[in-house]
Amino acid sequence: MTRTMDSHLEMPSAYRDPSGFVFRMNGQYYRQVNQSYAADYEHLFSSGLYQELTRKKWLIPHEEITDAPGTKDRYKTILPEQIPVISYPYEWSPQQLQDAGLLTLSITRAAIEKGMILKDATPFNIQFLHGKPIFIDTLSLELYDPAKPWIAYRQFCESFLFPLYLQHYQKGDVDKLAMAYPEGIPAALTARLLPSKSRWKAGVWMHVLLQSKIQKDYQGSNKPPGSRSPAFSKTRLSRILEHLENILKTLTTGIPQSKGWSNYYDETILSAAYLDKKEKLFCDMLESLTPASALDLGANNGHFSRLLAAKNIRTIAVDADWRCIGDMYQQHRKNPVGHLLPLCIDLCYPTPDMGWLNKERPGFIRRAHSELVIALALVHHLALQRNIPLSGIADLLAALTGQWLIIEFVPLSDIKAQTLVENKNRYHPDYGITHFETCFSRYFNIEKKELIGDSGRILYRMKKLSNP
Amino acid sequence: MINICLLYIDPGSGSYLVQMIVAAVLGASFFFKNLWLKIRSFFFKPKKEDQPENDPDNG
Repeated sequence: MTRTMDSHLEMPSAYRDPSGFVFRMNGQYYRQVNQSYAADYEHLFSSGLYQELTRKKWLIPHEEITDAPGTKDRYKTILPEQIPVISYPYEWSPQQLQDAGLLTLSITRAAIEKGMILKDATPFNIQFLHGKPIFIDTLSLELYDPAKPWIAYRQFCESFLFPLYLQHYQKGDVDKLAMAYPEGIPAALTARLLPSKSRWKAGVWMHVLLQSKIQKDYQGSNKPPGSRSPAFSKTRLSRILEHLENILKTLTTGIPQSKGWSNYYDETILSAAYLDKKEKLFCDMLESLTPASALDLGANNGHFSRLLAAKNIRTIAVDADWRCIGDMYQQHRKNPVGHLLPLCIDLCYPTPDMGWLNKERPGFIRRAHSELVIALALVHHLALQRNIPLSGIADLLAALTGQWLIIEFVPLSDIKAQTLVENKNRYHPDYGITHFETCFSRYFNIEKKELIGDSGRILYRMKKLSNP
Repeated sequence: MINICLLYIDPGSGSYLVQMIVAAVLGASFFFKNLWLKIRSFFFKPKKEDQPENDPDNG
């Protein structure tokens, strides 16, 4: 019997596709498959495509739920394997976007061999699980008509190829562009942003410049898409997919090591002894704790995030520097340790609620809440460099922390802190241990407090108060 | 002809034309590359199997 959906929350992020929708029930995410998708759904199984894609861990596996609530046009209800933490392309490093793009192409190529194709190619259909991208929108696979070109070609270019071209030629901040253009960077804008030397590349000429020119010519015309196009073919589509794949594979997504924070620990004069001592104290503080989830703020190269993930704690590692996140992601792909999700987040501007009614894609703070939060060598950057008052930093950490906080305080006398205020005459003058402890005591009980060797820096373990 | 009612994403005006042209260029490139390989192997016996080229944009 079909029950109504009144008591369950439909997820706004999935209502653009008439084939079905996602809803949440008892803390789990389900997907209703509508009658209109029935033929595609059956073919997905009878062709063996579902089995192939889930075996390769390219597509999220699911089970069918017989007794589930639904709307009148319900055909099936499925319960996919749950993703612990949802992330969005504007939080990924270029390496993550590149892998997500390659996965999209691999799935499309596998699908056309089995009579199906992806009807959309948005990075929002991909999540990261155990360090690798996985496709989560099962209903995006539809029956394939070889006489037609790929309907999602433009979306693929705008969402994956163009950002990665810009990353390759302009070196950086593609996550910020993805935030400004969540549905993809238009061809015309990409053409303007790419350097003139890129025009000599056949890929840029065809996928960016030609596409931009044709879109401009078609703008405002009443010609329905494809009305005069001759039939396409599987061979032609395969060539385009292979070409896109080859381009994506050779685009560079990293940057020389000498910039940014990515070699902070290698360069700093505090390095070896300080880091050893800090790690020992950190592990001691962690020993008696049993968090299921952790959040590493200002994770840098992810050294401490990996320590947490290795203890089977589901860990989100964030840093504002995409180079750090890219390096960490690459390292985790090569040597996976538990569940670690590296994300590019600037804590002064965390990802806001985005999309329809501001409900389609929840902001970072709403998704990142974790039992344990660690903030090592972070507070002085927020307070002295970004001018956030210590009370404000305590507000943020209290909002993110479920139970425990391990936090490092760097005094003003520290050489790194001095560098930050060297040419600054305006920063919060009450920056100091006493004020720090006062601010954090509003939300936390200080359980442990240890000096990190002779560095002058202090490591705290705090427990969140039940009624702050 | 495409039934537009079934398309929930905008395929983009002219996107089909772009794909036709891209496919034609790639097809021609494939044809000439094959032709060149045949001519080369007719005159010179290849020592090893030809490796695929690395530059994607030569595709």
